[in-house]
Amino acid sequence: VQPTTNTVEEPLDLIRLSLDERIYVKMRNDRELRGRLHAYDQHLNMILGDVEETVTTVEIDEETYEELYKSTKRNIPMLFVRGDGVVLVAPPLRVG
Amino acid sequence: MESQQEPEHLPSGPTEVVNSIRERTIAENSMVVLLQGLQGQVTTVDLKNESTARGRVVNVDAFMNIRLDNVLYRDRRGQLTQLQDLFITGRNVRYVHIPDNVDIMKTIQSQLARIHRVRNFASHGGGRKEFATKTK
Repeated sequence: VQPTTNTVEEPLDLIRLSLDERIYVKMRNDRELRGRLHAYDQHLNMILGDVEETVTTVEIDEETYEELYKSTKRNIPMLFVRGDGVVLVAPPLRVG
Repeated sequence: MESQQEPEHLPSGPTEVVNSIRERTIAENSMVVLLQGLQGQVTTVDLKNESTARGRVVNVDAFMNIRLDNVLYRDRRGQLTQLQDLFITGRNVRYVHIPDNVDIMKTIQSQLARIHRVRNFASHGGGRKEFATKTK
């Protein structure tokens, strides 16, 4: 919870530019979050509002060895995310 | 000298602040202060091992270790267990669901104010000038 400056000096400042915007967060264990960034800190602990979590799993057919990708989504109104699970933070991906 | 010591008897409950200077400093420089402000509220904690624990927040320390009571614990298979008391190590936390009625900025600001009040009480000479002390 630090005082803010106006210039972009380090990578965390790029995240600061996304405050109050919707962002995409890739997490460990094949999870993704899309939500509005309300707050963050140097550990990348984040508060996200209006979040959609996507968990992706791969099942392999034992006979054909086909990879079957499944994703499970859920919505959470306000979420505190512990930073050590975060892999990357980006503006929301455009579909198509 | 009394001014050099930490205050010994702090009120317990939502107004409680940790006595260790190190923990206070760690907490005030991170988002953990928000979780500390959730004391007394019922929330759900998602753990890294895919289980969830829903209960009342008793305490959260600077390392995000969380104590819950009156807990409904759901393991990764979906099996439910009731627990009177649960201590979750900070490293095991994936998410904490914030209740709808919580005002995030207000909670953070009041937690920081509590930390600064305790710091002023304990330090010699009135502490930081930008936070006015009530006595003296």
